Amino acid sequence: MSLALQVSGVRASFGDLEILKGVDIDVPFGEVHVLMGPNGSGKSTLCHVLMGKDEYDASGSALVGGTEVMGLPVDERARAGLFEAFQYPVEVPGVSLNDLLREMGEVRQDPGFDSRVESAAETLDMERFRERAVNGGLSGGEKKRSEMFQMAVAGPKVAILDEIDSGLDIDAVREVAHLVEELRSDDLGVLIITHYSRILRYMNPDKIHVMVEGEVVRTGGPEMASELEASGYVDIAGNEATVPKPAVTPFDI
Amino acid sequence: MKTLDAQASAAAGAADPGWLAARRQAALDYYDKLDMPSDREEVWRYVDLDFTFDDFALVEQPGEAHDIDTGIAAALPETAGWMRVVDGHATAVDAGDGRAVFGSLRALLADNSELFEPHVAQGTASDLNKFAAAHTAFAGDGAILVVPPGAAIEQPFFIDVQAATDGAVAFPLVTLVTGRSSQASVVIRYRSPDDVNALVVPNLELVVGANSQLKVTVVQNWGTNTTSISHLRAAVDRDASLHLGEAGLGAALSRLELQIDLEGNGSSANVVGAYFGDDTQTLDYRYTMHHQGLNTASDMFLKGAVQGESLSIFTGMIRIDEEAQKTNAFQTNRNLILSDGAAAQSVPNLEILANDVRCGHGSTMGPLDEEQRYYLMSRGLDEPRSNRLLVHGFFNEALERFPEPAIADVVTSWIDTKYRAAQEAGRV
Ligand SMILES: Nc1ncnc2c1ncn2[C@@H]1O[C@H](COP(=O)(O)OP(=O)(O)OP(=O)(O)O)[C@@H](O)[C@H]1O
Ligand SMILES: [Mg+2]
Repeated sequence: MSLALQVSGVRASFGDLEILKGVDIDVPFGEVHVLMGPNGSGKSTLCHVLMGKDEYDASGSALVGGTEVMGLPVDERARAGLFEAFQYPVEVPGVSLNDLLREMGEVRQDPGFDSRVESAAETLDMERFRERAVNGGLSGGEKKRSEMFQMAVAGPKVAILDEIDSGLDIDAVREVAHLVEELRSDDLGVLIITHYSRILRYMNPDKIHVMVEGEVVRTGGPEMASELEASGYVDIAGNEATVPKPAVTPFDI
Repeated sequence: MKTLDAQASAAAGAADPGWLAARRQAALDYYDKLDMPSDREEVWRYVDLDFTFDDFALVEQPGEAHDIDTGIAAALPETAGWMRVVDGHATAVDAGDGRAVFGSLRALLADNSELFEPHVAQGTASDLNKFAAAHTAFAGDGAILVVPPGAAIEQPFFIDVQAATDGAVAFPLVTLVTGRSSQASVVIRYRSPDDVNALVVPNLELVVGANSQLKVTVVQNWGTNTTSISHLRAAVDRDASLHLGEAGLGAALSRLELQIDLEGNGSSANVVGAYFGDDTQTLDYRYTMHHQGLNTASDMFLKGAVQGESLSIFTGMIRIDEEAQKTNAFQTNRNLILSDGAAAQSVPNLEILANDVRCGHGSTMGPLDEEQRYYLMSRGLDEPRSNRLLVHGFFNEALERFPEPAIADVVTSWIDTKYRAAQEAGRV
């Protein structure tokens, strides 16, 4: 299958700090992948570097549905089909979610846009947030829900969901997972960044990638989640022998 | 055209009752004695006055009024009354249904002398500065509204104040009085064509009676060659509230010196401002909130942006008297600097003599927020579009607090247009 996202040799630094040291990740269309890794390993930095945030010195290649996006301005990457759900969604005072949706619709010129807005608003119960300021005064969980809403209406080729499950209650985690599965299609590849295998119980990820210190050190099947849960990230880098056999069956954690 | 002298003052006051003639004479004396303000005085700091009164003259016949609505009239489909003041003369009046006294000050003065005496020409002290003195000495006409006790008038009164004659100086006077337990809303719009080089010195006098509620919306949209030096003075009585919104968009130089006296116990004032400078405009705000009564509350919330080579100034003073215990007083002034050549000054001040008060002030200044822009761009909005949305949002926070939402919507669209024009011309 062709690739929704093909990241190769992406490096990034902030000032003197080298954060990403050559990242390779492929996410085919129709698949849902997971990226895990310890705090500070560079997961969010990868998101921002792919999205084009200009505070990093970045190099390497990132193809979104076959289009090179490295070097493009942020908005062109978005319109090329990349969507990032922020780990920390930014409050935009005075700008309502409806204002933002209207602009998103205008730049996309996509006839399906309005109907996606209405149906996603209903599915995600977003109606009451639409006249409020973007992320303004929203609870942590509500912000994540708003990010999912925007992803659903943006209709991307690749969605990178950075800790979309952090701060969510149990029901909301299940909801988000179900939504991802619902959106799963041959036109979309999803990369979920998470610290918890909890969310993986409600979905069927195709692959798990593990990032340590700015590099993807392992890629495996869904069963790896439980392995990690048992062993942590210690020793995972290149030393498979020390990773104990899963003590519990996958998704039974 | 008349130069500003004793004869002109006498002509302006030809129909004055005795009490007003006395005030006018005293003001004329100050006018003769006082010098033009200089930027060496603290209250005029940052402002360079490059004209004198001799550059302008009073007109006996007002110039031709502008009838073309720019959106404000359309936003007020039903008014409780409306009038037009051109070059300082009331030229059209619809007094409404008689629930309030409303109309030309000059026309109503003779019949209502006693009713007006405590209010008219009392607002701004004549010795405050040369402009205040000139106003009382030379003002001949304007608008007056007296809302009787208990009347609750929902539709706004609309006062369209214009300058129409090149080289003219005008002193429009607007006096608004709410009787005990009454309610009223007034919209005042200032405008002039861009090619009219005029000096306008408006005075607004607000007398907010006990337990009454007064809403005032001022839309300053003078033409690019008009200078306006304006005073607003409000006295707020027991348990009364004043809700004031000012939008500052036009003029070469527009200055508003405001003083609100919360005289009565339990009185309150909610003051909102949105101002936006471009080119070489100067927008100058000097606000004083004076808490005198017990249990009074005030909130000043102003947002300003500057682009091109414009300059804005906000100085806000909260003064709390020793007797004014249990005061709540806040002021916020946020400034957006949208281009390198533009500048803003923000000077919050507190002078607190009471010990049982809650008081706060904040002031910020800076460019558009990069994290917010990045977030919007990550949703596919190009940079100019993201910036427009951010400017819109910045002002929206102030405009959504304006007294008349329909007017706030018009101002919002003007602000959006003004920023977009600067984007297209490369001034931001
Ligand atoms: N803008 C920045 N300024 C300074 N340091 C940065 C910046 N961005 C990232 N870093 C540093 O780079 C490293 C990786 O950060 P990043 O946020 O990508 O980690 P993460 O894997 O997302 O962690 P977490 O799981 O805690 O979210 C950290 O050490 C972080 O402090
Ligand atoms: Mg992170």
